[in-house]
Amino acid sequence: MQTVTLKPKKEMKISVEVENITPDRFAGKSEKEIQAIEAWMGNQKTTLGDLFSVKVEGSGTAADTKIVMEGDLSRVKRIGEGMTAGLIIIKGNVDMHLGAKMNGGKITVSGNADSWAGREMKGGEIIIEGDAGYYLGGGARGETCGMRGGKITVMGSALDYVGDHMCGGEIVVKGNAGILPGLSNNGGKIVIEGNTSRPGSEMVKGTIIVNGTVEEMMPVFKLEGSEAVDGVTYRKYTGDVIVSGKGLLYVK
Amino acid sequence: MELLIKNGAVFDPVNGIKGDKTDISIKDGKIVNNVSSRATVIDAGGRLVMAGGVDAHSHIAGAKVNVGRIMRPEDTRSGIKPRTKITRPWTGYTVPNVYAMGYRYAQMGYTTVFEAAQAIMKARHTHEELEEIPIIDKGALTLFGSNWPTMDYVREKDMDKLAAYVAWGLLASRGFGIKVVNPGGGEMWGFGKNVTSLDDVVPNFDVTPREIIVSLMKVNEMLGLPHSVHLHCNNLGKPGNYTTTLASMELAKQVKPSRDRQVLHVTHLTFNVWGGTNWGDFESKADEIANYLNNSENITTDMGQLIFGSATTMTADGPVQYANAKLLHAKWANGDVELEDASGVVPIYYVKQISVHAIMWAMGLELALLTKDPFKVLLTTDHPNGGPFVNYPEVVTLLMSNKKRQEEIKTLHEAVHKRTKIPGIDRELGWSEIAAMTRAGPAKVLGLLDTKGHLGVGADADISVFDIKPDQVDPSVEHAKVKSALSSAAYTIKGGEVVVKDGQITATPMGRTYWVDASVPAEHTEIMMKDIRMKFKNYYSINLANYMVQDAYLTHPQVVKAGVIPVEVR
Ligand SMILES: [Zn+2]
Repeated sequence: MQTVTLKPKKEMKISVEVENITPDRFAGKSEKEIQAIEAWMGNQKTTLGDLFSVKVEGSGTAADTKIVMEGDLSRVKRIGEGMTAGLIIIKGNVDMHLGAKMNGGKITVSGNADSWAGREMKGGEIIIEGDAGYYLGGGARGETCGMRGGKITVMGSALDYVGDHMCGGEIVVKGNAGILPGLSNNGGKIVIEGNTSRPGSEMVKGTIIVNGTVEEMMPVFKLEGSEAVDGVTYRKYTGDVIVSGKGLLYVK
Repeated sequence: MELLIKNGAVFDPVNGIKGDKTDISIKDGKIVNNVSSRATVIDAGGRLVMAGGVDAHSHIAGAKVNVGRIMRPEDTRSGIKPRTKITRPWTGYTVPNVYAMGYRYAQMGYTTVFEAAQAIMKARHTHEELEEIPIIDKGALTLFGSNWPTMDYVREKDMDKLAAYVAWGLLASRGFGIKVVNPGGGEMWGFGKNVTSLDDVVPNFDVTPREIIVSLMKVNEMLGLPHSVHLHCNNLGKPGNYTTTLASMELAKQVKPSRDRQVLHVTHLTFNVWGGTNWGDFESKADEIANYLNNSENITTDMGQLIFGSATTMTADGPVQYANAKLLHAKWANGDVELEDASGVVPIYYVKQISVHAIMWAMGLELALLTKDPFKVLLTTDHPNGGPFVNYPEVVTLLMSNKKRQEEIKTLHEAVHKRTKIPGIDRELGWSEIAAMTRAGPAKVLGLLDTKGHLGVGADADISVFDIKPDQVDPSVEHAKVKSALSSAAYTIKGGEVVVKDGQITATPMGRTYWVDASVPAEHTEIMMKDIRMKFKNYYSINLANYMVQDAYLTHPQVVKAGVIPVEVR
């Protein structure tokens, strides 16, 4: 078992990009080796050692590696990008692209995660105890697929476009979601416990379940009657009919 | 500035040099007989030397290309290289940024590239981009096939006015030649329709595609333009369209070329040698087209080779793009260019295991391998319609190595065996034929053979040297070596200056923009302009004064003179 603890050494006014903070990159490495790993602050190349104090205990494979990040991480982007195994525990808020393209392992955030958390995620799990920004589990601009697998849970609320262009996997938002969750959904599952508006536009496949209030329905869904899911009765819709969609939308 | 390239294994079909050790002398940007002892010497050491590559059909600048960039931000995620002291940033694969266009062509040893379609109304945009593409010489063909004045004059059978309009259109767009895309179809698309044969009548204009093509060929030769009519056939993208392609080629018999070149260039044949009646019985008829080319003298073509992976289709053929977008459930951009044409942009991903794509991959290769004369089939991918131009080395190796083709065929949908002839074709092209398809041929087709596409005295000193010794490497066997050498030139020399060394950009001079200044009798222009002014007053959304490409748009113009009255060079 290897535990790596990172704490910001200075206030980060300019955002930093740390796609190299992953259990895969840290596994079996010493403090010195981790300090030397490349990072960017704005347009300046720097190192993790310059930005963070690094403490390493033990040694292990990626699956055996736990990274603990503490402090003000609200300008730290791309933590855990592409990780395939292991654990990242974040105590605080993080900037955009948390766990982008992640393929395995687990990330937990005690605070909020900014936009594009879990962008193009393929596997593994992200748990955000606070709120999430825009495009949770979404796709990069122009791509046909956002999240393809894995699971994201948000204990708080999320902003607009939850699961944009999602092609698989599952997103659960315990609070409210902004407008257009599941936009162009192509096979993912989204559960919103709170309220939202205009879910499922351009949806082709996949499932969206809303337990709170849908403030506005898109007029592109066909009511198929009522159906019980896990003991709860919903109005069941299919659509988006404009794109001959076979998506399922369950509304209380 | 003097330069001497010694000991190159030179392939130059125009001057009959077939791999002989030849020295090339360069002075002031031109190839000369000899240079002084002060000349800088590059020892090619027996490596392959050819003229700089010439591409007669690519989409590198203008409204369509930029729509492709806007609708495909994901394309920009690949191909990124940060700026250096010499180069600006590179981005993109199918729709690269303007800088990468120039750098990547130069890296492959190409020095001249023509944008294959600009509407006059959008020509300012084309030139704004051409002005930013570094290193290479370039030019743009101007769309005339669905323009209202063209169709009016074709109906009236007034070739003088049509010639005056073409000459003025080339001036207005600073264009190089006549491009015709799905003639009549661009206008029909304004009403949600298309033309389906050479003899369909375009409503409101009472003309047929056949009349438009023949009239523009006549006018092209009346004006003695350097290039011929450059045709994107009707029915492109529809199974069975090879009959339309053959019928269009037949039209070339009606007109005599005014120069030593073809009278009709039929472009990107991968998209119009289609047999069958639907996607189920879709098959290649490239062999029939090749047979036709082998028996005709005044027609040239280009491959439009398909490359598996990501591509972005972009064309003035608006209706075909609507059909594509529906078929592929893809993103779709549609453009209407007022009185001139339509357009559409649709991304596509070509997949080895999709039967139609595997068959299309074979079509370009069959055409090139079954046509005897390499000057009749230019090497293109119709960038980025069949695939990005950076794949030219892949296409060259497919043409030079049957072994590579057979390896590739094993990975493709089985339809490639039943619906194409490619598995049984064992012809392998040599370096002279490749030089013809990528240098001398395109230069001849464009009418620029005096200065481009060869290494004779008087030619522009545009030269490519590749890290491969033709007497030691058999391209048939060592195709991977050939591909890597062609992807990264040992030297690219543009106008006598070394712009690439060992695959790295070393200098970024600005290339020139070719356009054709064709003169016609002033009285013809005068009466034609009455019609044009009327059209601007009644129909165009902009003023005539805001329409013409002004001189300020071309900081390095290269004017080629033509016209019905022989003119003295200024
Ligand atoms: Zn084209």
